[in-house]
Amino acid sequence: MNIGRRSFLSFVIGGAAGTAITPLPWKLIDDSSIWSQNWPWTPVPPDGEYSQVNSVCTLCPGGCGITLRKVDDRVVKIEGMKGHPINDGGLCLMGLSGLQLLYGPTRVKTPLKRVGKRGEGKWEKISWDEAISEVTKKLADIRSNGESHAVGSIVDSESGTVPNLFKRFLTAYGSPNFMTMPSIQDTYGMTLQLMQGVSAQAGFDAENADFILSFGSGIIDGWGSPVRMFKANSAWKANGKKVVQIEPRLSNTAAKSDKWIPIKPGTEAVLALGLANVIITNSLDSKKISRSTGFESFKKLVQNEYSIDKVSKITGINSATIVSLAKNFARASKPLAICGKGQGSIPGSLNEFMAVHALNALVGNINKEGGVWAVTETDYIKWPKLEMDSVAENGMQKERIDGAGSEYPHANSLLNRLAEVINSGDGSLEVIFVSGANPLYSMPDSKAMKTAFDSIPFVVSFSSYMDETADNADLILPNHVYLERYEDVPTLAGLSKPIVGLTRPVVKPQFDTKHVGDVVMLIAKALGGGMADAFPWESYEACLKETLGVKWDVLVEKGFEFNGDKCILEGDFNFYPEAMKSLSNFTPVSAEGSAISYPLILIPYDTIRLANGYIGDPPFAIKAVEDTVLKGKNSCVEINPKTGKELGLTEGRYASLLTPRGKAKVKVHLYEGIMPGIIALPRGLGHTAYDKYLAGKGCNFNELIGPAEDPVSGLDAAWGIRARLTKV
Amino acid sequence: MDSALIPDGVKRCSFGKFALGIIIAGGVLLWGVYAMLLIWLKGLNQTNMNDYYGFALWIWADLGVIALGGGAFFIGLLRYVIGKDELKNIINYAVLIGFICYSSALLILAIDVGQPLRSWFIFWHANIHSMLTEVAFCLSCYFAVLTIEYIPLILENRQINKVPFFHNLAHNMHEVMVIFAATGAFLSFFHQGSLGGTPAVLYGRPFAFREGVFIWPWTFFLFTWSAAAYGPCFTLFVTRLTEKITGKKLVKQNVIDLLAKISGWMMGTYIIAKIIDTWYWATVTATASGFNLIDFYSNNPFYGIWILIAEIVVCGIVPALILLTPKGRSNSTLLFTAVLLACIGVLLNRWVMVLQVMAAPVMTFENWVMYIPSWQEVATTILPVAYGVILVMISFRYLPIFPQERELNS
Amino acid sequence: MKEEGKHKKAKKYGMVINLDECTGCGACMVACMAENNVPFKEDESNKLDSIAWMRVYKLTNGKSYPEADICYLPRPCMHCEGEHGHSPCVSVCPATATDYNHETGIVSQIYTRCFGCRYCMAACPYHARYFNWWDPVWPEGSTKYLSPNVSPRMRGVVEKCSFCFHRYQLAMDKAFLEGRTVLEEDEYQTSCTQACPAGAITFGDLNNPEHKVHQLAKPDNKHGGRPGNPNVFRLLERLGTNPKVYYMSSREWVRQAGDNYLDNEDFAKNYRH
Repeated sequence: MNIGRRSFLSFVIGGAAGTAITPLPWKLIDDSSIWSQNWPWTPVPPDGEYSQVNSVCTLCPGGCGITLRKVDDRVVKIEGMKGHPINDGGLCLMGLSGLQLLYGPTRVKTPLKRVGKRGEGKWEKISWDEAISEVTKKLADIRSNGESHAVGSIVDSESGTVPNLFKRFLTAYGSPNFMTMPSIQDTYGMTLQLMQGVSAQAGFDAENADFILSFGSGIIDGWGSPVRMFKANSAWKANGKKVVQIEPRLSNTAAKSDKWIPIKPGTEAVLALGLANVIITNSLDSKKISRSTGFESFKKLVQNEYSIDKVSKITGINSATIVSLAKNFARASKPLAICGKGQGSIPGSLNEFMAVHALNALVGNINKEGGVWAVTETDYIKWPKLEMDSVAENGMQKERIDGAGSEYPHANSLLNRLAEVINSGDGSLEVIFVSGANPLYSMPDSKAMKTAFDSIPFVVSFSSYMDETADNADLILPNHVYLERYEDVPTLAGLSKPIVGLTRPVVKPQFDTKHVGDVVMLIAKALGGGMADAFPWESYEACLKETLGVKWDVLVEKGFEFNGDKCILEGDFNFYPEAMKSLSNFTPVSAEGSAISYPLILIPYDTIRLANGYIGDPPFAIKAVEDTVLKGKNSCVEINPKTGKELGLTEGRYASLLTPRGKAKVKVHLYEGIMPGIIALPRGLGHTAYDKYLAGKGCNFNELIGPAEDPVSGLDAAWGIRARLTKV
Repeated sequence: MDSALIPDGVKRCSFGKFALGIIIAGGVLLWGVYAMLLIWLKGLNQTNMNDYYGFALWIWADLGVIALGGGAFFIGLLRYVIGKDELKNIINYAVLIGFICYSSALLILAIDVGQPLRSWFIFWHANIHSMLTEVAFCLSCYFAVLTIEYIPLILENRQINKVPFFHNLAHNMHEVMVIFAATGAFLSFFHQGSLGGTPAVLYGRPFAFREGVFIWPWTFFLFTWSAAAYGPCFTLFVTRLTEKITGKKLVKQNVIDLLAKISGWMMGTYIIAKIIDTWYWATVTATASGFNLIDFYSNNPFYGIWILIAEIVVCGIVPALILLTPKGRSNSTLLFTAVLLACIGVLLNRWVMVLQVMAAPVMTFENWVMYIPSWQEVATTILPVAYGVILVMISFRYLPIFPQERELNS
Repeated sequence: MKEEGKHKKAKKYGMVINLDECTGCGACMVACMAENNVPFKEDESNKLDSIAWMRVYKLTNGKSYPEADICYLPRPCMHCEGEHGHSPCVSVCPATATDYNHETGIVSQIYTRCFGCRYCMAACPYHARYFNWWDPVWPEGSTKYLSPNVSPRMRGVVEKCSFCFHRYQLAMDKAFLEGRTVLEEDEYQTSCTQACPAGAITFGDLNNPEHKVHQLAKPDNKHGGRPGNPNVFRLLERLGTNPKVYYMSSREWVRQAGDNYLDNEDFAKNYRH
C-alpha cells in the first residue's frame, strides 16, 4: 500500500482525535495523579491496636515520667506523664525525640570488635560470647599480674544499681578507679559536707521560694531537673515571685528573669561575699544563724576583704545595685540563692558554692520551706557484703589514678584530672570501661582525653550509640536503650524530694544488644572465684527485683516513688570551714591564656535545645536549633556588636577562633545580650560521631577549653578561657 | 532546498544559515529541556526557591510573558473589533508572539507546580474564589483562541494552501476571526486582570495588597491596562528586531506609527492610574497596616526606592511621552528606545509584584529575604525564549507573516 | 437562617500563648514534629526551607547591652478566620486543597489534593506554611515511629499545623461511642500544648466562656475576635487576618513587636485598648 503524505497526516490527526474521545487518555491522566498520591517511596504507617505505657526518661538526670503511645509493637510517640511529681505532663525536646534514639541510625546493633585503627570506624561483628570472653581474658591476665588497679570505669553517676554494679565489680576485682562524670552535684555535696557536716545533696524548694538569686544557673536552660525548673519558673511568674540572674550573657534565664545583672565572669564568689557583707553590716541576717560556728570569722572576712567598693570593682557591678540586691534578697520572706553555671555540667569553684551557700544560711533558709534542704537518697541497695580476695584487697589499697580521696581528700571522683595524669605519665590504665558516658566528647579538653584514651590499651564501651567514645573503643558491648530495659532511675537533680523511677522495656530490644548490668555480671561470672560469688543473681532483672524489694511492685504500678529524706541539720552551720580560708586573699579561678595573645574571653553557654552529655541531639532536636546558634556546618559565636566593630566582624561572617587549647572556624553572630569583650559559644555541637544529622556540625566547645583545677576540691572550675577571634 | 515552502515573492537566507540558527537556538532549548526534566524528575529542590520565596523567577517570567504577549489581544481588538484596518499588517506577528508567550506561560506553570501530574485539579476541584483559578481557566481558553488565530496562518503556507480543504478552512477562519478576536479580548481582560489580582488579594501582604471595587482589586484593571499598553510595544520591539536581523523593512511606518501612538495613549493613561494607585496605596492602604512607603524600600541590599522610580518614571512616563509625540515616533532610535523602556517597565512591574512581595518582611521580627535563582530556574526560563526564537524563525521563513513584506522589498 | 443556628453551636478552637512563661525551649516544635510525622533532612539550619509547623521565633527589643532583652514567640498556624472564614490562604487556593472548617474554626490542608502551586504560602504573612521541596526520607528503621494518625506527605505539596486535627477526630469518635456530642476541654488538646514544660500554651474553644482560652483572651467576636485582655495581642492584628492564636505578655515591647506601627503612632497610647 502506498501511503502518501496526505493519508499519513489524516491517519495521525484522525488517530489523535479518535484516541482523545476514548476514555484512555483521561483514565491515564487520572491514574497518574492517583499514583502521585500514593508514591511507593512515601511511607504509610500501619495502623493497629493502640496502647499506653508509663516509664521514665533517662536522657538527662532530670528523671521525668513519660507515657509512651504504642501502635501494636511500635512506639509512636513519647509524651510527658500526667501526674508525675517532676514534670506532670510536660516534657523537654530531648525527651520528646527519644524515639529517634531508639529507632534511629546511630544505634550500635551488635557487639563490635575493632579491626582497623582506633577511630577508623572499621568493625567486625562478633557474638556476645566472643565479646565477653575477650574482656574476660584481658581482665584475667591483668589480675594475675597483680595490676588489677589498672582497670577503671567511667559511668554517668554514683547512684542506682548499674553504677553500683560497676563499683562492686571493680571492688571485687581490685581497683579503686570507679570514676563518674562530673557535675555541680559534686561541688554541692562537698559544700554541704564542709558547711553542714552532712553527707547529702542540696535540694532546692524552688517552688516555694519568693526571691531567687541565681549565680548563672540556667534555670530554664537545663539546670537541675529541667522540666521541674520550667514549671517552677512559670509558677514564679504567675505568683509574682522575683528572679535575679547574674551572668555576663543574656541567657534565656536572664531574659526571663525580673532583673539581669551582668557580671565579669569568674567573680561570682566575690559578689556573693559582697552581698553577705551588706547583709551582715545592715543587720539583715537571720539572728539565729549569727551565733553559728565561724560566723565571726566570716563576718570579719567579708567586712575586711569584701567592701562594696572592692566588690564593685572586681565584679563590674555598680555599688548601688549590689546594695539594693542584698537588701531585697535579705528582706524577701523566702529568698533562695543558687549556683552552678548553665546546666551544671562543670562542677565549679568550691569557694563560690560555699559563698553562695553562706548567703542562704545568712538569711536563714537552710532546711526551711522555700530554702535549701540537705537531702539524702534512701539507699535501697543492700547487697550482700562483698568478700574480697587478697588481690582485691591489695588493689583497693592503691591510690586512685585521679587523686580523689588522696591528693584531694574531699573528692570522690576527679575525672577532669584523668587526662592530665595519664598524659603526663603520672599514672596509667590498662583497661577502661565506659558506660552511659561519652568522655571523649564531653570532658573539657576532649582532645587531651582522647590522647589519654589512646594510651589505654583496652577501651570497652557499653554505649547504645556510636558516640565519640564508642568510636574510639576496641570493643563495643551495646546496652539496650532506656525504652528496651528495666533500670532504676534515682533522681536527685536538686529536687527537695528525691524520687526513684523505673524504666521498663516498652518494646523488645530492636537489635542484638544486652543490658549492661547483665554484661557486667556475665564478665564477673566468667572470671570465676570471688568475682563470680560477688554477683549471686541470675540476671540483672533478678538483681533489680531483689534490690528494690517491696519498691518493685510500687514502681511497676506507678512508675515512680519518693525516695529520700531531708536531713536534720546536725550541729551548727559552719560559716568558715577550713577550706574557705583561701578567700581571705581572693584570687579568682582565672581564664587560661595570656591577655596579650588572647584579648577576648570565651565562655560557653547551654541551651536546652542542645544535649551535651552522653546523648547527642537527635534529628528533631538539632532541627530545632536556631540559625543563630548553628548555621550549616558552623557554630555561631556570640559577640557584642561593639566588640564586633573593633574586630571588623559583621553578622554572618566567618571567623577563626583560637584559644590556648584549640581552634575552630565559626560564624559571627552579633548579639547585644553579651558583655563587650566576651564571646560565647554553645555547648553540645561539634560531634564527630553519631549520624549525619549531628556529626560534623559546629565545633565542640570542649576542644577549646581545658579543665582548671579548683585548689581545694580538685574539681574542674573552669568557666571560660582566653581567646582570639580573627577574620577569615 | 526548501524553496518550495517559502512564501511567494520574498527572499529568505540560505538554508544553511537558517539551519545554523536553529541549531544554536536548539542547543539553548535543549539545555532548558534538560533543566526541565531535572525539575520534573527530582522535584523543585532543583530551584533556589524556599518557603519564603514560594513564588519566584518563574512566576515573574509567567506574568512577564503574558504582559508582553498582551499585544495579541489588544491589536486583535483594535483590528477586528474597533476596525483599525491598517493593523492587519502587524496582527499576524502579534498573534504569533502572543502564541509563543502564552504557550511558554503554560509550560512554565507546568514546571512550577510541585505536583504537575495533578495540575488539572485546578479545573476539577476549582475554587472559584481563587484568582489563580480564574487565571487558569482564562489562560487555557485564551491559549485555545490564540491557537485558532494562529492556525489559519499556518494554513497559508504555500504548500499547505494548495490543498483546497486547508485553503478553504483558512479562508473561512479569517472570516470569523472577529468572533475569536472579541472572545480573546474578553478572556484576556479577565486573565490579565486576575493575574493583577493574584498579588493584590493577598491581604496578609501589605506590599502587594490593594483595595478595589467589588471583588476586583485596582491592580486587576491596572494589569489589563498595562498589558494593552505595553504588549503592543513588545510587538513593535520584536518587529523592529526582526527587521534589523533580516535587514528587511517588514511593516510600513504608518502602521508602526499608529500602533505606537495608541500604545502611547494607553501607557500615558495607565501611568497616571498607576501613580494614583501607588499614591493611594502608600498613603492609605499600607499605612492602615502600619507601613510607611519607605519601609518597603529600605533595610535591604536590593529593593531601594530606585525600583519605583525606574518603573514609573524611566520606564513609564518617559516612553509614554516619546510615543505620544509625533517626533518621538518618527525618530527610529527614539521609538526603539521607548518600546524597549516600555518592555523593561512592564517586566519591572511584574517583578515587583512577585519578587519584592516575597522579599519584604511582614512580621516585625523577620528580615528581608533575598533570592538568587538556580541555574535550573534560569535555564527553564530561557527555554521559552529559545523556543520562541525557533518558532519565529520557522514561521517567518515559511509563512506569510508580513503582508507588506513583498511590497516593501520589491 | 439555617446557617445561623449552625453558627451558634460552632466552636472556634484557638490558643493563648503566655510569652512571659515561654522559655524558648523548643519542646513545642519537637512535640509537633513527633506527633505529625514531620520529616527532617541532613541540614536544617537554613530556616527558609526547614519544615516546622510550630516555629519558635526569637524577638529582640533592639536595645544595646545591657538594656538588651529577648523574648521567644512560638508560631503555629494561626488558623485565621479573616472575615467569615475568608482566611488569607484558604481563599487563594485554586484547587480547594485547604479549607476553613466552620464547625471548629480549623484550617485544614489536604495533601493529596494540593498540587503545589504555593499560592497559599505567598498569602500567609506568618510563614506558617511549608513546602515539601524534597521527598521525605526517614533513616532506615525510623519509619517505625511514624504515627498512623497523620499521613506522611509526599514531595511537592504544602503542609502546615492542623491544631492536631486528628486528635479532635479521635476525641469526637470516643465521645460518640460514649453517647456524647460535646467534648470536655481537656479531651482535645494539641501536642504542643500538652508537651510545653512551662505550661505556657492554653488551648480550647474561644467561643466557650468556660474554656480557659476564652477567659484569658476575652475575644471580642463583634470586632473580629480582638482580645479584650490588655496584655493579650495577636500577630499582625491590623491586617485583618483574624487569627485564633493569641499571645500574652507583660512586656510592652513584646506586644508592640506583634504588629507594625508608623513612626508617629504612639503605641502605648493608642493600642493598649
